[in-house]
Amino acid sequence: MAIQFREVSYHYPSGGVNFYQAITDISLEIAPKDEFICLVGETGSGKSTLAQHMNALIFPTSGAVEIFGSKITSKRNKKIKYNDLRKHVGLVFQFPEYQLFEETVEKDIMFGPLNFKVPHDEAKLLAEKAIRQVGLDETYLKRNPFNLSGGEKKRVSIAGILALDPSILVLDEPTSGLDPAGKKQLMELFAKIHRDTGKTTIVITHDMDLVYEYATRVLVLHEGGLVFDGVPEALFRRDDLQSFSLDYPETIRIMKLVKTEFDLDIDIYKQTVTEAAREIERVMLG
Amino acid sequence: MKNIVIGQYVPGNSYLYRLDPRTKIIGVIVLMTAVFLLKTIPQLLLALGLALVILISGRISIIRVLKGLKPLFILLLFTFFFQVFFNKEGALLLDETMTLSLASVAGIVLWTIVWRLSARMNRFRFLLLLIYLAGLYFLFVYLPYGYVLTSFPFRIYQKGLEMSIFVIIRLVIIITLSTVMTLTTKPTDLTQGLEKLMHPLKIVGIRSEDFALIISISLRFIPTILDEANKIMSAQASRGADFSEGRLKDKIKQIISLLVPMFIIAFKRSEELADAMESRNFVPGKPRTRISELVFGRLDILTTVFLIACLAGSIVSRVLS
Repeated sequence: MAIQFREVSYHYPSGGVNFYQAITDISLEIAPKDEFICLVGETGSGKSTLAQHMNALIFPTSGAVEIFGSKITSKRNKKIKYNDLRKHVGLVFQFPEYQLFEETVEKDIMFGPLNFKVPHDEAKLLAEKAIRQVGLDETYLKRNPFNLSGGEKKRVSIAGILALDPSILVLDEPTSGLDPAGKKQLMELFAKIHRDTGKTTIVITHDMDLVYEYATRVLVLHEGGLVFDGVPEALFRRDDLQSFSLDYPETIRIMKLVKTEFDLDIDIYKQTVTEAAREIERVMLG
Repeated sequence: MKNIVIGQYVPGNSYLYRLDPRTKIIGVIVLMTAVFLLKTIPQLLLALGLALVILISGRISIIRVLKGLKPLFILLLFTFFFQVFFNKEGALLLDETMTLSLASVAGIVLWTIVWRLSARMNRFRFLLLLIYLAGLYFLFVYLPYGYVLTSFPFRIYQKGLEMSIFVIIRLVIIITLSTVMTLTTKPTDLTQGLEKLMHPLKIVGIRSEDFALIISISLRFIPTILDEANKIMSAQASRGADFSEGRLKDKIKQIISLLVPMFIIAFKRSEELADAMESRNFVPGKPRTRISELVFGRLDILTTVFLIACLAGSIVSRVLS
C-alpha cells in the first residue's frame, strides 16, 4: 500500500481559526497505482485536513499514517525526511494559482524540482514535459504567470506539482472557481494523466456528476468521520445521501424522474448523459 | 505560527470589564506616569502591591499575567545583569576573581551539556536557565585549576544591585498594568476608546475615525492573513520548499515564494473590501453612528478619583524626598 491511515484523528490546536475542522478515527488504504479516488463531503467535513495528512504536511494527533513505508505519528521523527515524502505524494492546494510567484511560468514550474536538488537542465526538461501534460504548449513557458487567465494559472500550478513526478497526485478542489466547460476540461485532463501514467489520483470535489463519471472509488467524509468507501454506484444506490449533505448526480436524478413519471423499466445508474440517453432510447424503442 | 493569538482578551465580568475603555487607557497612562515618578524601592513595592490589589479585586488570574510576562523574562534578566555589572556605585558587596582555566572550561562544557539535555523538559526552561547561570558563576570562581587562560575580577556594588531590583520591579508593574488593560478590553472597544480620546485632534486636521478604522481593519485581518500565510507555506512546502532549514540563498528564495503571493492576496483582498464598504455607502470622513455608544458611568468617576489620588500621591512623594 502506498498510503495507509490507521485510526487517524486530528484536532486543530484550540484558539486557531480552523478549530471546527478535525478528522476522527479514519482508517483507509490507498494503492500506488490505478485508482481514481474522489473525496467528497460537506464544507468543513475535514477533506482538506485528510489530504494534508497524505504528504505529511500535518501530523495526526493520534493514530498513524504510513506513506511509502514512513510512519507518520504525532511526534516528529528525525529519521524521516518529510520533504522527500512530499515528492512522492504531490498535493495541489485549493486555489493553487495563489502559489505562483516567479516572473516566468518556466521558473515557477522549476521551483519544485530545484528544491529537490534536480540539476537545472533536467528541471528545465521536466518543466517542458509538465506544461505539455497540463495541455498547454511550450510558448507558455516564457510568459508571466500573472498575465494568464484563471484556468491557465490553475494548469500552470498543477504543472508545478507534476514536474516533481509524484507517485500519487492529490488535488484539493481543483475545479473550484472555474466555469462548467473549464471544470470538464480539467477533469478530462486529470483522467488523461491518470490513464497515461496509471498514477493514483485523488480529487476532492463537490461535483457529483464528475464523481460518477470519473471515479473508480469514492470516499465520503461527514463531520470528520469516514462514512463511505467504495465504488460510486454503490454510493448512489443508497437513499440516505442527504444525511451527508450530498446529492445524486444529475443523470441519476433525471433517470429516477423518467422512471417514475413514465413508469419505465430502465436502469437508472448510467454514468454519463450519453449512456443515460441510450438507455431511455433502448426502452422507448424496444 | 499557528498559535498566535491577537489581543489577549479573556471574557469576564468583574468591574475592570465594566469600565469604559477610555478610562482604562487614561488609567494605564496615568498609573505608568505615577510609577515613573517614584524613587525608592519601598515606594515601588507599595505600587506593586497596589497593582496586585487591582488584579485580585478584578478577579484576573495572576498566572495569566505571569504568562504575559514570560516573553519578557529574557529582557528582565538582561536588564538585571546590565545593572549589576556596570553600575559601580555604593558599597562593595561581592568581590571574587573569575578564572577561565582548563578545569573550568571542562566544567563549563559539561555543565552546558547537562543544561541542554535537561532543557528538553520545556516546562521549567526559565528556571533551568537561572540554575545554569548560577552554576556558571560557581564554575568560574571555584575551579581555577590547570592552565589559566584568563582571569578577571567580578564585583557587585550595593547601588548596582539596588538599581537592578528597582528597574525590574518598575518594568514588572508597567507590564502588569498594560496586560490588565489588554486582558479586560476587547480590541474593538480599545480602538473605539482610542478614537474618542483622539477626537480633539480634529482641530489640527487629524481624523481619529480614520485611524480607528485602520486599526480595527488591521486587527480584523491579522488572523485571516495568518491563515492565508499558513496555506501558502503548506502549498510551497508541497513543492519542496523548506522554511526552516537550508542555506541563506535558498532561504531567501523560499521567503520570496511566500511573500509575493501574500502581497498579491492582500492587495486583492483590500480592493474587495473597499468595494464592499463602498457598496454599503461608506464615505471616508463622513460621520457614522455606532451600535453601542460608550457611556462614562459612576464606576468610571470612582476610578478617575482613584487615579488622581495615585498620581497626587506619587507627586507628593517625589516632592518630599
